[in-house]
Amino acid sequence: MSIASALEGLGSGQLLVAIAAILTLATVAAVAPRSRANPVSLSLALSGVACVGILVFGVSVLASGSSVVASAGDVLGFALIDVRYDALAAIFLVALGIAGAASSVYGIGYQAHGTTGNDRTAAAYPVFLASLALVFGADDAFAFLFAWELMALSSAILVVGSRPTAEVARAGYLYLALTHLATAPLIVAFAVLASAAGATGFSSFGPAAAGLSPTSRDVVFVLLFVGFATKAGAIPFHVWLPRAHPVAPSHVSALMSGVMIKVGVFGIVRFGLQILGPGPEWWGLLVLGIGVASAVLGVLYALMEHDLKRLLAFHSIENVGIILIGVGVALLAVADGATAVAGAALTAALFHTLNHALFKSVLFLAAGSVQSAVGSRDLNVLGGLARAMPVTALAFGIGAAAISGLPPLNGFASEWLTFQGLIGAGGNGALSLVARSAVLLAVGGLGLTVALAVACFVKATGMTFLALPRSPGAADARETSRLMGAAMASLAIACIAVGIAAGPVSAAIGAVADGLVGQSSTSAPVLGPAAVGVPVVGIDAVYAAGRLAVLLGGVAGLTWLVAMRRGTRRVPTWTTGIAPEPAFEYTATSYAKLIRLYFGPILRPAREVSVELHPGTPFPRTVRYRGEVSHVLDERIYRPLHRGAVGAAQLVRRLQSGSLQLYLAYSVAALIGLLLVARS
Amino acid sequence: MIDPSTLANVTLGLIQAVLTLLVAPLLLGITKRVKARLQYRQGPSILQPYRDLAKWWRKESVESDAASPLTAAAPALVFAAVFVATLLVPMVSQRPPLEGWGDLLVVVGLMALGRFVLALSALDAGSAFGGMGSSREVAIATFVEPAFLLALVGTALAAGSTDLGAIAALGVASGISWYTPALLLAAGAFAIVAVAETGHEPVDNPDTHLELTMIHEGMLLEASGPRLTIFTYAAELKLVLVAGLFAAVFLPVGMAQDLAPLSVLVAVGAALAKLVAAAVVLGVLDASLAKLRILALPGLLATASIVAVIGLASRLWLPA
Repeated sequence: MSIASALEGLGSGQLLVAIAAILTLATVAAVAPRSRANPVSLSLALSGVACVGILVFGVSVLASGSSVVASAGDVLGFALIDVRYDALAAIFLVALGIAGAASSVYGIGYQAHGTTGNDRTAAAYPVFLASLALVFGADDAFAFLFAWELMALSSAILVVGSRPTAEVARAGYLYLALTHLATAPLIVAFAVLASAAGATGFSSFGPAAAGLSPTSRDVVFVLLFVGFATKAGAIPFHVWLPRAHPVAPSHVSALMSGVMIKVGVFGIVRFGLQILGPGPEWWGLLVLGIGVASAVLGVLYALMEHDLKRLLAFHSIENVGIILIGVGVALLAVADGATAVAGAALTAALFHTLNHALFKSVLFLAAGSVQSAVGSRDLNVLGGLARAMPVTALAFGIGAAAISGLPPLNGFASEWLTFQGLIGAGGNGALSLVARSAVLLAVGGLGLTVALAVACFVKATGMTFLALPRSPGAADARETSRLMGAAMASLAIACIAVGIAAGPVSAAIGAVADGLVGQSSTSAPVLGPAAVGVPVVGIDAVYAAGRLAVLLGGVAGLTWLVAMRRGTRRVPTWTTGIAPEPAFEYTATSYAKLIRLYFGPILRPAREVSVELHPGTPFPRTVRYRGEVSHVLDERIYRPLHRGAVGAAQLVRRLQSGSLQLYLAYSVAALIGLLLVARS
Repeated sequence: MIDPSTLANVTLGLIQAVLTLLVAPLLLGITKRVKARLQYRQGPSILQPYRDLAKWWRKESVESDAASPLTAAAPALVFAAVFVATLLVPMVSQRPPLEGWGDLLVVVGLMALGRFVLALSALDAGSAFGGMGSSREVAIATFVEPAFLLALVGTALAAGSTDLGAIAALGVASGISWYTPALLLAAGAFAIVAVAETGHEPVDNPDTHLELTMIHEGMLLEASGPRLTIFTYAAELKLVLVAGLFAAVFLPVGMAQDLAPLSVLVAVGAALAKLVAAAVVLGVLDASLAKLRILALPGLLATASIVAVIGLASRLWLPA
């Protein structure tokens, strides 16, 4: 063990060691004997400190522009920890640092509510954070897969918890199974690259990839894409995500949706674009197509959900789709040498990655507060929480506006850049006509996604926080603890701040993106404070986020002040003369009905109404309604796959008779077979 | 020393801001008057919308006791979003009043912001009508927004910029050659969804208060007093925004480039004429079309997206 054997930049190195040490302490604290007051809180507090360290480290790498290298832990000549943090990794570390710090602080308050209990699975949390920090920096196939597995296992432990219900256990099992299915193509792809390179270090993969035949490169790309797209939860590889994310404790859901699925995005950029690329145009078209499908279907399925956290989980699929649209355009553009467009599109993707980490974390944390205050996350029993839980409501509202892509918040800035990337590619003569047509169609797809996201978050916010409470639990809800409020508030403020400072933030990310796509001259125009300029060939446009935010705030504030001057009388809502009841309100299901019908060909809604009459009268006694939408991909792809896999397992089981003699015969047969193969 | 081009832009921008704020209610008055005349009615004065706004302004606000602070904040936010959006659209000058602050995507984004706040505040009182209007509004918007973008993108490709000033300038410079088949198809697509976005027949009936048919009015049902004034004024201003956007991209004629009195006069006249023409067209539509069944709307609105895509395809695939 030679920790910090190869450190460049002693300050950063010391920070890395400190982060590792604090996370180790945090893990130990969580499994410490139960003599002290609350070891889980201590563990979470230490994790929070480590995340601040990760954030500082990420920013310092971005600011200095030079990579930080470290390695430790040789096992049989393979470095388990062999990291190289460059600017691309640093962007993801910044997202991890912010989301992780807020989630850890929130977690302290959350577990005090007794939601996660005092269980030892909390020890997996610091391990999860460490594995995330490691996976972004891994500089060697073994180190990467080690961190990747650590990340999968620790998050699975957090999803399942110590006393899982049958449903939770199933979700955790599916998650683990699919994560491992996703790892298989990665291992194969790494093996191909490593055998071509003669080494497992990522630095040797680039030259080796250049020497591969076009067909092998295509195969490696597809293998990598399937592996990483599964981790990212892109449709059609998404089935695990809406099941696993909602059942985890909310601060873990926040990290899984906000940061962990981004490892998939990171992998596609690092390996597909940086190491393998530039490839043929169809790589980009593949990623773009998957991106548009994920975005549109993700948000459509989200609209149909009335479980708040499942709804948010489907929105993660949507946002991964938006990110992949940017990555797809970047791949497409580098294929044709249009590096300026590629740089803009990749900037959009990386910026949206950071933004999604911010707003999805605040949304999951607020959903957790709602769940612990009301005891349910079913939108149809929530309602009216804005007055009892103002901090949570405001934080959720800001997060909702940000994820819906509304100016002047951060989500709009990165979606604006994504649109610019699409339009820039559509107008670029270097791209083939098919590619240009595809990106212009994607403009419509992204527009549809944004409009559906607005619909979905009006529904989620309105049903949770506005109008009359729909259940006694919602009526008695109280604001959750100050720590949880502080965590949510700081993330909401970050959404606003990054939105206003979209100019400098996107310029910093743009420098990294330009470096990755080989765009030498960064022509990012500086147009006043916080203006985002797009230096795409053929497209020049500007969005002055800061000034626009000030103007919007000013006009709204003045209007509000002027309208305030008269008194306001508060009376019950007029409901044709009878007392207002929550039953008069639109529910989450009824709110989405029109969209369910409009998009019926995709959603295939089914409903069942049964009326039971009072005997001998035409008056109904009970009316039962059951409605659901079908998830076509689940039914058409995954169910047959699952059935096939179980069938195959049954066949293989016949070999397992339990008889020792038979097993010995298998061994002898295998040995003879191997000898024959080796001889020839 | 102020550079003359900046001075011209600031002055023309101020003229546009004042003009749009002043004429917004007038357009609604014209629409209603045209509709009434076509139905052989006398109809209210075209100044009636001003009187309505003044009347509501003097009344107190009544709000639901179920409402959150959002109910008080929503009118101001909706108005700010729409008003700032109008300042990004060039109507009098070729350059938008807030030049370099935002492009057509920001205008679409601000419209979405207004819709988000309005649709959310409609749920605040817990009345069924609010939920009805709100859910319809957001569902219809899912067809409007892609069509808007697809219709505008083609002109952005032609101008090499999503900046509305650049698009309008190119339109002015191109003269008659601006009106390619691609542009006309895009204009048709934009016009279809513009009717939906401004809440007129056959998508919404601005005069109705019949619960089964309301969309926009359903969302305003719980608003009263100054809040109703601001909401309604914002809706009137939104017509100016959408019509101005259409004119800037698809009918860029008569816009001023300098402060010469004649050109300013012509520009103001042209801008007014375009807005009044839009109001008249909407009045004719209101009088002559029946409201479509809400389940039949996708048939109409999706047509807009398809037409826009055909326009884009002709721009891309046909030799220039």
